[in-house]
Amino acid sequence: MLSIRGLKVAVEGKEILGGIDLEVPAGEVHAIMGPNGSGKSSLAYVLAGREGYEVTAGEVSFDGLDLLGLAAEERARRGLFLAMQYPVELPGVNNMSFLKASLNAIRQARGEPEMGAPSFLKQLRETARHLKLDEKLLQRSVNAGFSGGEKKRNEILQMAMLEPRLAILDETDSGLDIDALRTVADGVNALRSPERAMLVVTHYQRLLDYIVPDRVHVLAGGRILRSGGKALALELEERGYGWILEEAAA
Amino acid sequence: MSLVSPVAERFRALVERQLAARPAGGPVWLEAQRSAAARRLAELGMPERRQEAWRYTSIEPLLGQPFDPAAEAESRPDLDQIRSLLLAETEGTRLVLLNGRHAPALSSLGRAGAVSVGSLRDALREGSGERARLLGSLAGPGEHAFSALNTVLAQDGALIRIPEETAQEQPIELLHLSMPTLQPGVVQPRHLVLVEPRARARLVERFVALGEPLYFNNLVSEILLGDSAELEHERLQAESPHAFHLSVVHLAQAAGSRYRGVVAALGAAWSRTDLKVRFDGPGAECALDGLYLAGDGQLVDMHLDVHHAVPGCTSRQSFRGILDGRGRAVFDGRVRVERQAQKSDARLTNANLMLSRSAEIDTKPQLEIFADDVQCSHGTSVGQLDADALFYLRSRGLSLADARRMLCMGFAREVLDAFRVGGLRDRSEALLAHRLERGPQGQRPGD
Repeated sequence: MLSIRGLKVAVEGKEILGGIDLEVPAGEVHAIMGPNGSGKSSLAYVLAGREGYEVTAGEVSFDGLDLLGLAAEERARRGLFLAMQYPVELPGVNNMSFLKASLNAIRQARGEPEMGAPSFLKQLRETARHLKLDEKLLQRSVNAGFSGGEKKRNEILQMAMLEPRLAILDETDSGLDIDALRTVADGVNALRSPERAMLVVTHYQRLLDYIVPDRVHVLAGGRILRSGGKALALELEERGYGWILEEAAA
Repeated sequence: MSLVSPVAERFRALVERQLAARPAGGPVWLEAQRSAAARRLAELGMPERRQEAWRYTSIEPLLGQPFDPAAEAESRPDLDQIRSLLLAETEGTRLVLLNGRHAPALSSLGRAGAVSVGSLRDALREGSGERARLLGSLAGPGEHAFSALNTVLAQDGALIRIPEETAQEQPIELLHLSMPTLQPGVVQPRHLVLVEPRARARLVERFVALGEPLYFNNLVSEILLGDSAELEHERLQAESPHAFHLSVVHLAQAAGSRYRGVVAALGAAWSRTDLKVRFDGPGAECALDGLYLAGDGQLVDMHLDVHHAVPGCTSRQSFRGILDGRGRAVFDGRVRVERQAQKSDARLTNANLMLSRSAEIDTKPQLEIFADDVQCSHGTSVGQLDADALFYLRSRGLSLADARRMLCMGFAREVLDAFRVGGLRDRSEALLAHRLERGPQGQRPGD
């Protein structure tokens, strides 16, 4: 479903991704792990279409389409979703109206009819309940004044409502206590399906206890240094990242 | 004066043309007031850019127009169209001014109860104008040529009196309707609002047009709040895109009175609003929220002057502006705190959102504080839409245009939500959304 080949990216002339190759088939969950500053979040942003990243080489195809040629909203409409590490606060923008506009923009692009208010509300309330997200937050401004955990739940709520083909979760565990982590992970796991792929970007192995990946990739210095099964994550937890960096340098 | 510039000549011609329509008769005090204002007008001359209050506001676009003080309506008003403009909340408490004149047939005043709402013209004619003698008590002969002109020429408007201890829950509306005239018209409405001690009322003021006529609305309002009186005053300026609009609102607050105002300036090609607040007794509170939008060829000017002359009063002004295309706006927020006005609490903020590089804002908060035991602050910002916020919305499937509109509406939300009259909030919101959707074009100064 997602196929990245030789992807090199620079920001203001400085290379931050130095040739990434990655295949994520439908139905699989892949984890990207790595130390701080390794380029993990940049990879997530480049895939989602944030401005300010210059692709200097390589290509990315998503369901056979040239992903890099699409605007951010086009990617979202074709089923890509990025749960952000730092969800943006939007004062004055009502959470519920925003999500409804978003859902209908995506449905329209898929050639589906707009979702009416009653079924939207029903589905939204149910999803919020599963994620233990206070319903009052739905009536507030998007993320404004939300706690760190509430923001992360709100991201997963959006993901559940928008039903993406490819979900990228960027440091979704940061700032969550263990109970919140479980709830969020349950929400994510409920979305696992044979038609859907996920890319879980994380610094710590902890999240992967709850969202068990099919493959783990270690990203450092803008390159994938090693890939393996879920055991690799446990090894990283035990030994840190140093040994992989040393092996790569050798 | 020996040298007369072509601009000053055009101004003189404009004024003379208006003065030909000077009303005569009426009570002696009124005639004396007109004469004083006429002398003042002659002294003041044309508002010029070298005067601080007009530094960023050119009146030249006004001078090119052949405004006729006696312009006749092109046709009879279309009642269905008017009906579609009405607010359900003010049924029975609505005074309509059609092209500046009280229109009894369009007004609906059956539910005003103990409150007296009527036309100033009637009050003066019937000699029952005792209350009307307060006319001019705040505005004086006028502090610029246009307010002086209004004082000389005003013949109609509203006289509203909320008697002592009365609570008027249903909002009273002054609906200023403008419809096309055979020549571009000029009107000089004049309002006097008296909220007597311990009385409470809500006032809605709207400026709307049928079609897109060219006219000049030159308005002066005086609002007097007695001891512990309360007024909620919500104002929507949605004039025709060709219109010129100048309103001066004087507010005087006695001890313990409370005023809460919301203003949205979303229409007109050229508009200026002067809000002048004076505290006359301690413990009074004044809170004002404002919103303005300026697109191509449009000028919006907001002048605030809040005068803390007595101790222990509170003022809050929070204004937000959106500027698009080649739109221009001026925000001048002056707060004066006199030496004796200890324990004053004054806060002023102005935030501006620039949607284009060609738009221009001149924002000038001025705090003049002569007392030492006060809490005063001001803050001004000029910014653009946040790139991270735009990306966030687009990453959820919204187009760039939709994302921009959503953020603009979010920026305006605080002010829109300050409208407590639901119908007025909805109309303001719809108008803002409509204009944002249409883009910066659409405002045409008198073409």
